[in-house]
This record gives sequence, structure tokens and C-alpha cells, in this order.
Amino acid sequence: MIELGSLALQLALLTAVYGIVVAIVGSIRQRADMVRSGRHAAYAVHGLVVLAAIALWRALLTHDFSLEYVASYASSTLALPYTIAAFWGGQAGSLLFWVLILMTMSSIAHLQNRERNAALMPYVTATLLVIAAFFLALLVFITDPFARLPVPASEGADLNPLLQNYWMMIHPPSLYLGFVGCAIPFAFAVAALASGRLSDVWIRTTRRWTLFAWFFLTVGNVLGGRWAYEELGWGGYWAWDPVENAAIMPWFTCTAFLHSVMIQEKKNMLKMWNMVLVLLTFTLTIFGTFLTRSGIVSSVHSFTQSGLGPFFVGFLIMVIVTCAALIAWRRPLLRSENDIDSFLSREGAFLFNNLLLVGLAFATFWGTIFPVLSEAVRGIKITVGPPFFNKVNAPLGLALLFMTGVGPVIAWRRASARNLRRSFLWPLTLGFATGVVIFALGYRHYYAVVCFSLATFVLATIVMEFYRGTRARQSLMHESPAMALANLVGKNRRRYGGYVVHIGIVMIAVGMAASSAFRIEVQETIERGQAFEAGPYTLTYAGLKNTDSPHVASMLAEVQVTRNGQPVTTLYPEKRFYKRQQQPTTEVALRSTLRDDLYVVLGNYDAESGLVTLLVFVSPLVAWLWIGALVMALGTVIVMSPTAAEQRALAAALAVEERGLEGAARVVR
Amino acid sequence: MKGPTQTEIEESLTCQCGCGLTVHSCNHLQCPSAIPLKAEIAEHLAAGQARPEILAGFASTYGEKILSAPTTTGFNVVAWVMPFLAVFVATILVVAFVVRWRGHAVPAAATPQGEDDGPTAARRARLQAELDRFDG
Repeated sequence: MIELGSLALQLALLTAVYGIVVAIVGSIRQRADMVRSGRHAAYAVHGLVVLAAIALWRALLTHDFSLEYVASYASSTLALPYTIAAFWGGQAGSLLFWVLILMTMSSIAHLQNRERNAALMPYVTATLLVIAAFFLALLVFITDPFARLPVPASEGADLNPLLQNYWMMIHPPSLYLGFVGCAIPFAFAVAALASGRLSDVWIRTTRRWTLFAWFFLTVGNVLGGRWAYEELGWGGYWAWDPVENAAIMPWFTCTAFLHSVMIQEKKNMLKMWNMVLVLLTFTLTIFGTFLTRSGIVSSVHSFTQSGLGPFFVGFLIMVIVTCAALIAWRRPLLRSENDIDSFLSREGAFLFNNLLLVGLAFATFWGTIFPVLSEAVRGIKITVGPPFFNKVNAPLGLALLFMTGVGPVIAWRRASARNLRRSFLWPLTLGFATGVVIFALGYRHYYAVVCFSLATFVLATIVMEFYRGTRARQSLMHESPAMALANLVGKNRRRYGGYVVHIGIVMIAVGMAASSAFRIEVQETIERGQAFEAGPYTLTYAGLKNTDSPHVASMLAEVQVTRNGQPVTTLYPEKRFYKRQQQPTTEVALRSTLRDDLYVVLGNYDAESGLVTLLVFVSPLVAWLWIGALVMALGTVIVMSPTAAEQRALAAALAVEERGLEGAARVVR
Repeated sequence: MKGPTQTEIEESLTCQCGCGLTVHSCNHLQCPSAIPLKAEIAEHLAAGQARPEILAGFASTYGEKILSAPTTTGFNVVAWVMPFLAVFVATILVVAFVVRWRGHAVPAAATPQGEDDGPTAARRARLQAELDRFDG
């Protein structure tokens, strides 16, 4: 089976190269048989990659320690879910996982477009196969997941204990789905440039794919935060680590694209800008993969330093140069058909929203690579850590939060004074009042106060939109309030689903601001029976317990928690010792409520003296961060759900393009 | 209880244990780097040293990489200025572009299928008017 997996990868690489050539030549020479052969090659690559993936999973599940990969990332005592997850726990496996997802998406995209987008599809095939060929070449020539050890190991080294966490079961696949999902809009954008079909057909065709990628980028980033919160034991969820930055940068540009694409669909503007955004988003996903694997920057998340860096740099340069050349070539076709009448308009608001999102992506990129730049220029390595990113990104983020309230409700073309008054008078008043009240209550963390004010402003604009829409339906259609609200959302899923996403953003902003600005930290070394205060809670240490298994030994501290003299809960912060890796980890004990999280970490313990050190964080409103992410996911699902109007719009755009082609053909004849 | 200055300085220094966090946030309670650094900070504060003086001392002892953010002198200024400068320049460019753009838009994109764009443009204009009425 191992040999079969290895052979499958080699055949997949050859088939991908064949597919690239026949798809492009077939399109240029208008040979339907060659184009069809290219499509079949893509399906074949998918099948071969599935075969290779099955071979690796089988090796992991049967503990075949003759394989270097299995011996490095699994063990006979590793739990089944983590043995499955070990597939993406190491360098080679994660690259294979990438190609597996890519080719699965490729097959779905090809099946969806069997009968349409005939002019685009050969280039889509070729682009997706180029990406696949790059990763397959790495797997075949550089980091082979099926490499055998000279002497089979008797036992595996086990998966990194930090990855033995349930969030790690879903966080990497989510992020991969997001990263790889960006390849589909990218492939259609390249195809649109290569074929010259630059109407909005490619955008409408890939709209759901872009949302899909964005959904998983969002979920992946949030799950990564949740994993860090529960597993790393420092009370935070985001440390602006280079690898975290690599995951958030494409999210910023993809979000910008999702907004600016609306301008192209409605006004036929920003064609070139949208093209740049979609290409930039994909480039950033590759850059992120490069950062994780090149060892160029140090990160707790990165894979062992490998020789993959130069190959990724080469691929990045090829992508950037090709895209820039295509855009330069098609520049005349990317001109706008309309113009902006006023900055006080939805178009203007979306432009500034884009500016801020790309600004955030740039600031994050800049901070991430600045240590490398500093070393190159001055020969001195410096650190660019959380204080830099918080100071630089916080003002941009707050400005973006403000635009979240403005963009969706300001009028298209030119906002009148009446429109501005009607849309923003009450929200601005409420936002300002919130800031004044919070300030009057004695809170002096200015960023947090501004964030709460802006959150109120945004929430008020959204609530007003729902209220007005529901009232209008009630009076026009004579529906009950609940029915009117349901129909309002159901019939305008894109618009109101977007508002739901924005509500999620507001919740996340509030959760982040409150938990960063008003967090309480207490560290105490105490003995059994002693108690101490942490914010509104009293914690009493009641003793130690230990557990043991062949895989892991644990020491748990029993901590009884009261609030205002009333028992609240008993928490068990834990220290684990993973026997194979000889590595200790900290398992946080958490009591989460809508008001605050009580987060307890077991530090030192001395079994003889009975002394333990407990580190306690009380983080207000942090649960809203996770709830906000769920609300964002719900909103995205609403936006993604198909509507008849959308299907009609795509069919109409396709018909217009086909008719245009016939017209062009008549002119040529 | 630590004063705010101790926390501020702990946040300004990067832990050298490889956790990638600041000295204040390091998640290793027995950390061989964070614990001595915290003690050292406390000593400097007890000796009456000010924050800039303490940070300069750490930078000269451990190298600039111990600071959790670039300094605001020399080449490091570029780190701080560039993001805001980029957003500022981009804003100017967008404004200039839009002002120049007004009235210069191409009536219909010169796509290969552009010969048949008349009715489409008319339909788009009508649709736009309806959308404006709906959204306004």
C-alpha cells in the first residue's frame, strides 16, 4: 500500500503536468477533445491523490513505524482521533492534505461547470493543476510522506502534545479549507484574464466559493484562537505570532474582496481592484504556507525548519509575475463602466472599507517581515511582538468598525442630507451616549471606550435596518412581526445575512476590547485549605489528585470557587506529562459565562510541601468573542444559501456573455 | 501587588524561552527566562530607574531582540511609520483617482463581446435607477 501511495503521487504529478499542457493548448486551438482531456486529467489527479491519502492514513492507523512520517508523528498509544489528525500534524502530511483538499474542490468546480463557462474552464483547469503540480513536486522530490526509515522504529515519537487537543482536530482542516478555497476564485480570475472574459460572470460563478473560503478562514482563525486560549495557558487567544498573522492576512483581503465585488456587480466598477484583491488573497495564502514552513521567522506554530523555503519563494514569484503580466495585458478591459458621484455614498464607503482592510493586511505583513528586513539592513535581529501590532492595528480596526456601520446603510451614488440624518442620527447619538456613560462609570481605557461606542453605533444601524424592513413588510404584506422578519431575511439573504455577520463582528469587537482592557490577573502560591480572591471570585485550594495511563500522566488541583459566599463550581486545572515525547503541558480549567471567564492554570506543585502555584485570569465578556464567531458563521450560511434571484442573475450574465460572443463571432465573419 | 510600571515593562520585553510571548504573558510558570527577567525588572524599579532607562539596559545586555516592539529611533522608525504612511498615501491616491475618474468612465467595457453592449447598458441604467430608488 505504501508503494502504491508513493506511485500515486508520482503519477499524479505527471498527470497534472499533462493536464496543464492539454488544457491550455486545447483552449488556444479550440480543440474540445483536448480541453475534455485536461478536465479528465484533473479528475485523475484527484483520484490519485485520494489513493495516496488513503495509503498514508492506513499507515498511521496500522502504526506502520517503518515509515518515517508515522514514526515521527504517531505512536501506538495515541488516541484514534489524534492518529487521524496526525495526517496533517507534520510537514509532508499537511502538504498532501493541502493537495487532497485542492483536488476535491477542483473536481466539484469542474462538475459544477460541465455545461457552462466553456471559455473559462480550460484555464481554470490549468491554473488548479499548476498549483497541484507545485505541491505534488514538493511531495515527490523534497518531502516524501512515504519515505521509509533505514531500520523500522519499534515505537513512534508521538504527536506533539500541544496538538493533542480537540480544537486541533478541526482548526487546521478549517484553515486549510479556507486557504485552499481561495484557489478556486483565483483560478477563475486567472481564467478570466487569460481568456479576456472579464464581465462579472466569473465573479458570480465564484461568489459562493469565495464565501466558502471566507467562512472557513473565519472559522479557522477563531478556532486557532480558541485552541491557544485553552491550550497555551496564558489567558489570551491571539499573540500576533507570525503564523497567526499568516492566517489573518488573507482573511483581511478576502473580506475586502467580498465587499468590493458588490460594487462590480451593481455598478460595473473596480474590476481591476477586484482582480488585484483576489490574486493578492491567494498569494497571501501561499505566503502563509511559506512562512510556516521556511523557518524564515520563528514561531511556536511553525513546522521544523526545512528546505522548502526557496521553492515557495520561487512559486510566489511565478504567481506574482504571471498575475501582474496578465493584469497589465488586460488593463484596457478592466476599465470601469461607471464612476463615483460622491465620497458620501456606498461606493465611497466600500472604497474606504477596502482601504482599511488592505491597510490592516499590509500592517500585519509589514510587522511580520520587519525582523527579516531589519536583519538584512542593519544586521540586527529585532522582535516585532504584540505591542507593535496592537498599537498599529487598533486604530485601523476601530476605523473599520465605524465603516461597518456606515457602509451597508449609506445610499448608493450620493447620500443626501436626509439619508444621512435618517440613517445615522440615532445610531451616532446612541454610540456617543454609550461612550459618555462608560467614561462616567470610571473606565479609562480609551480604546475600549471608543470600541464600545462604535459597537453601539453599528448595532443601532443594523437594528434600525431590521426594524424598518420588518415594519415595511408588516404594512405592505399584512404579516405578523415574526413572519415579516423571517420573510425579510429569507427574501434578501445576501443583505440581511451580511447584517448578521456584522452583528457577529460587533460581538467579537466587544469581547476582544473588554477581555483585553479589563482582565484581572492573580498569581498565588498557597497550601491546601487556603483561599484567595480573584476579582469577584474566591478560590480555595482543596488538594491534588493524580491519574495515570500508558500515554499520559496527570496531576490535577481541586479548586473550589465561590462568588459572594455562594458556591459556584469546582475546577480542576491540570498538568499533564506525555510519556512518549517526555513533555509537560498545561491544561486550563475554565468556567465560562456570558459575564466573564474564570480561567485557572496550575503552575508549580510540590507534592511534599503541598504548595501549589495557581495563576488565575478573570476575563470579562470573552464568551462573546466565541458567540460572535458563531453568529458570523450563521450569517455566512444565510448569505451563501442560494436564491432564485441569484440563479437568474448568473443565468442572465452567462446569456449576455454568450450573446456577446455570438455578436463578436458575427463581426469576425 | 505589582505596580503598573512593572507590568508595562514586562509587556515591553520578549521572553527568551521561545514561547514567542512577552515576559508578562509567558505561559511557563517555571520559565527559566521570564522569572529571572521579572526579578531583574523589580530590582531596577526598586533602584528608582525609569522605564526608558530600564529598557535601554535590557537591550544593551540581551540585544535589541529582547524588546517586544521596535524602538522609535533610527531605521526602526520605518516599522512604525510605514503602515500609517501606506494607508495615508493610499487614501490620497484613492481620492485623486476618484476625482480624476469622474466623467472619464468607459461607457461600456471594450470586451471582445462589447459590440452588443447597447441594450445591456440601457438595461443596466434602468436597473441602477431602480436599485437607487430601492436603497435610497
